[in-house]
Amino acid sequence: MATTFIPGDLPDEQLAQVLGQTLAGLYTGPARLPDRPGGRTAALSALKDYSGKDYVGRNDLRGHVSRLSMYLRHGMLSIVEVAEHARARMRGRDLSEFLRQLTWREFFLLVLAQDGAKVLGNLEEPKYRARWTDALPDDVREARTGLPCADAWVTHLVQGGWMHNHERLWFSAYLIHWRKVDWRAGYRFFREHLLDGDIASNALSWQWVASTFSAKPYFMNQANIEKYSAGRWCNTCTVQCPFRGEYESIEGQLFGGPVNPAPMPPRGNDRRGGRR
Amino acid sequence: MSAPARQNAPVGRAVVWIHGDSLSPTDPALEAVPDAPALFVFDRPFLAKTEVAFPRLAFMYQGVRDIAAARSVEIVVGGIGEELAAFAQRHAATELHVTRNFTPQWEETLQDFERRNPNVEVLVYEPDRLTSYDGPVKRFFGFWKKVEAEVLGGNALYAPQRGQGRR
Repeated sequence: MATTFIPGDLPDEQLAQVLGQTLAGLYTGPARLPDRPGGRTAALSALKDYSGKDYVGRNDLRGHVSRLSMYLRHGMLSIVEVAEHARARMRGRDLSEFLRQLTWREFFLLVLAQDGAKVLGNLEEPKYRARWTDALPDDVREARTGLPCADAWVTHLVQGGWMHNHERLWFSAYLIHWRKVDWRAGYRFFREHLLDGDIASNALSWQWVASTFSAKPYFMNQANIEKYSAGRWCNTCTVQCPFRGEYESIEGQLFGGPVNPAPMPPRGNDRRGGRR
Repeated sequence: MSAPARQNAPVGRAVVWIHGDSLSPTDPALEAVPDAPALFVFDRPFLAKTEVAFPRLAFMYQGVRDIAAARSVEIVVGGIGEELAAFAQRHAATELHVTRNFTPQWEETLQDFERRNPNVEVLVYEPDRLTSYDGPVKRFFGFWKKVEAEVLGGNALYAPQRGQGRR
């Protein structure tokens, strides 16, 4: 097949049309610009604008998270310059927590470097008797589960190309544990849409929730969603909430009882791992 | 596998491969050979079998575009192996410069390139690292305990170095 060249100077006004035509058949959804622009210039501007103030409240959806992940993922910002920016601009627990979260990125890359394509399969056995189906259900893909929160998470993913980390965790737990879908279907869904979608952080975060890369599965309850979203969905929600209940009862419902972290068998070059 | 950086060595006809993790003019391989032409490939075989929404591709294009504003960049659609080989040939390259990428596909691509182009030397640059830790990893908590002081201290003694190695 003859090489197809694409000009390197398409302005944003022409980008979607020209690139969309040139790459026809090689992408999903409409040809449109991303919610946040890519590139070194945009990345530096986003970095400069980020103060990191009150980052310590990052678990709240209203928290001051950086949204720099898509620039880090594509090398538009280096992890060192983001860390240096944080050290120059942030203080105290905001700084230490930001740097700790940034370190997750490096950790996932090192696991990928160490384990290679194995990260695309279960790194460990699930810590409960898991029976997962392979396909992403249509109602999830199309944001019509009927759950206002879950549908909003999918909408953020598909329309914005980005989700808050807490939304990623909730969505992953919902898909794997409540809907009994294999984490790889979620991984592919995120890879399709996330502007920061990669192999390492994406696959390994899914595995962390699934308990194939952690000592126990991650799950939440309605109170957790309500608290960290400031009730944005729960306050007006009228549906039968599958997340309602104490942790113990949800654990029984999802996993057949408490999942006790057992000592991990050695894998490769054994390290004694800690639990989160 | 890293070798001492070559300093003041004569540069042959160098070309650069920029991939999805190196979309900045500050990419180590790009900075190492500022006058060399660079190639970015939209991977047709991969995209044909993998669902990727358009905004992701546009985001990457915008990254390449910022590089192309400052130097010669060719953007093509095709198989990465074939396109890299054709690109090297177009420029009569003797050296291919690239920044390390941790995906399995990257390693396979370079091995394939070396088989097809035995006369082109491949030079690999290390991406920036937050820590100098290079041992095995299993759980984040254990990793964090090893690197916490370095990450929080930001001590220059541990600053990652941009390396270059011959393969």
